[in-house]
Amino acid sequence: MIDYALLSLKSLSHRKFRTFLTLLGVIIGIAAVVSMISIGTGMKVSLEEQLEVLGTDKLIVSTPQVLGGRTKELTDADADAIDGVMGVSLVSSLYSVSTNVKFRGEEKTGTVWGLDPEKAEKTFAGTSGYDLLEGRWIGKGDKNKITVGYGIHDDFFEREVSVGNALYIKEHPFQVVGIFKQTGDRDSDYAIYADIDQLRQLMGKEKEITIVIVRIKEGSNIEQVAMRIEDVLEKRLGEKNFVVLTPKQIVEQVGETFKIIQIVFGGIAAVSLAVGGIGIANTMVMNVLERTVEIGIMKSVGASREHILRIFLFESGMIGAVGGSIGVLFGYAISKAINIAASKYLGQGILYTTVTPEMALSALAFAFVVGIISGIYPAYKASELDPVEALRRGA
Amino acid sequence: MMPMEIVRLENVSKIYTMDKVQVPVLHGISLEIYKGEFVSVMGPSGSGKSTIMNLIGCLDRPTRGEVYLDGKNVSKLSEDKLAEMRRKKIGFVFQQFNLIPRLNALENVELPMWFAGVVKAKRTSRAGELLRAVGLEHRLKHKPTELSGGERQRVAIARALANNPEIILADEPTGNLDMKSGEEIINLLQKLNAEGRTVLIVTHELEYARRAQRMIKLRDGLIEGIEVGK
Repeated sequence: MIDYALLSLKSLSHRKFRTFLTLLGVIIGIAAVVSMISIGTGMKVSLEEQLEVLGTDKLIVSTPQVLGGRTKELTDADADAIDGVMGVSLVSSLYSVSTNVKFRGEEKTGTVWGLDPEKAEKTFAGTSGYDLLEGRWIGKGDKNKITVGYGIHDDFFEREVSVGNALYIKEHPFQVVGIFKQTGDRDSDYAIYADIDQLRQLMGKEKEITIVIVRIKEGSNIEQVAMRIEDVLEKRLGEKNFVVLTPKQIVEQVGETFKIIQIVFGGIAAVSLAVGGIGIANTMVMNVLERTVEIGIMKSVGASREHILRIFLFESGMIGAVGGSIGVLFGYAISKAINIAASKYLGQGILYTTVTPEMALSALAFAFVVGIISGIYPAYKASELDPVEALRRGA
Repeated sequence: MMPMEIVRLENVSKIYTMDKVQVPVLHGISLEIYKGEFVSVMGPSGSGKSTIMNLIGCLDRPTRGEVYLDGKNVSKLSEDKLAEMRRKKIGFVFQQFNLIPRLNALENVELPMWFAGVVKAKRTSRAGELLRAVGLEHRLKHKPTELSGGERQRVAIARALANNPEIILADEPTGNLDMKSGEEIINLLQKLNAEGRTVLIVTHELEYARRAQRMIKLRDGLIEGIEVGK
C-alpha cells in the first residue's frame, strides 16, 4: 500500500499543474455537493428543532390555508368539542391575525397571536423555546398587555422595543410586559402575543380560532387521539375541512419536501462532480499515454497486468481522495458562509445549513469512488498494453 | 558432463501485423542455449535479433513453433504467467537503458523486487548491494538524468540482477555509449557470466560479439551461421 502511494505521489507531483487542475475539478464538485446537501439537511434539522419546541405530546388542529385566507374557521365550540375527546388533557386555542402595528409613529404589518395565557403556559410547560429574556408572560385577564418575540424587540422597528413600551395594534395601545429569548425560528421570533378574547374583540371575530394546540394525556396514543379528534370534528362540521397534524405527520410531510430539495440540489451538484470525474479520466488517459514506455519497462521487469492496473487505479483514487478532502473543507466553509449571509440578509431561521460528520465522510468516500471509477478505463488500457509495442514507442 | 539446456527454440516463426500488413520477422529458427553460456547475436537491422530476445525474454509469444525456458514451454502462456517468468527468470538490459525517470537509482533497482513481493527493507538492502557491485555506491539517490550513460547502464544491469534471474538478456547494451563506457559494460557482463550466469547479448560490434563463447549470425529471420569463439 505504502509503495503504491509513494509511486502515485511521485507520478502526480511530476505533473504538478495538470494534477492541480484535475484536483480543482474534484474540489469544486465535492464542495458543491457538500454545500448544497447541507442546505437541505439544515432545513430538516431546523424543522426538527421547531418540533422540539412544540414537543411530541401535542397535536395541531387547523383549517387548511387557501390563497387569500382560510375556507372556514374553527370556533370556540369546536375547541370545546375537542376538549371532550378521550385522551385529551389540555386544549389551547390560538387566534392569529396579520394586522397593522405601530411603534413611535412607525407603522408595520405584524403577526399577532391571541392566546389564553393560563392554558398556553400549561400547554408549553416543559418545552424549550419559550424562555423569557426580560419581563414576564401575559397573565390571565391581562388586558392591554403583550409579550413579544426577540425580533420584535430587536429589529422589527427602527427603534428597539423594550419592556414598558407601548405598541399600537389596530390603533389600540398595548404595553409590552415581556420579551422572549431568541429561538432561531422566524415565526416565533417575530410574534406578538396578546390575550385571545381582547384580540378577537378588537378584530371583530368573537368566536374564531386559527389553530388549536392539543396536549394529550400521558400514556395516550397520539395517533389514536388524532383519529378520535378527526371523527368528532367531521361529525360537527359535516365535512373534512380541517387537518389534524401529529409531530410524526409533520416530520413526514415536510421531510418529503426537504428530501426533494436535497435531491434536486444534490443532483445539480453531482453534475459538477461528474465533470470532475471526467477530468480525472482525462488526466489518467493522458498519464497512461505519456507513460506508455514506462508501462513497457515495468512489464519487462516483471509487472503483471494487475500491478499496472493497481498503480493507475491508486493514482486516480488518490486524486479523488485528496480532491475530496479539500472539497469537503471548502464545502463546509461555503455552508458556513451561506449561514452567515442568510441570517444577515434573509433573517434568522429562513435558510439554515448543516454539515454532519456522516455527510462529510460519505462525500469523501464518494470522491474516492469517483476517482477509482474514472480511473478504471485508463488503468485497464494501461494494463493491456503489449510490452514490446510499449517499449518500441519509446525508441 | 552434459551441459544443461536453459533456452530452446524449436522451429520458431514470428509474424507481426502492422496496419493489417503481415510482416514476417523470423522464419522457423531452432536454437539451444546452455546454462552459464555467453552467447552473442549479430545481424543487420531487421534480421530479427530483437525479436529473438523478446521471445526468450517472455515479452512476446511466437506465431509458430515452441520456446522452452528452463525446461518449460512458454510459447502459449498467458500474459500473467509470462510476467511471472520475466519476474523470476529474466533480467533485461536495453540500449535505451529504460530506467524510470522519476525514480532514483536505488528505487529503479528495487522495482523488480517490488513486483516480486519482496519486503521493503530487504529490497533496499539488496538494491544497495547490487549498485555497490556495479560500482555505483556513491550514486544511490541520483535520478537517471543525473547519471552518465555508462552509469545508467550499470543501474540497468543492477536492476536486471535484482530478482537473481537465470538469464541476462542485453539488447545492444553499448549502442548508446562511448567506447570506454561500452567496454566497461561488456566487462561487467563478462564478469556476471564468469560468476555462472547465462548471458545473451545482441550487438553490432564484432569485437564485443567475438568475446562470447558462441556468436549467432542472423540474416532475414534465419540463422546464417554460428561461430564458436575463444
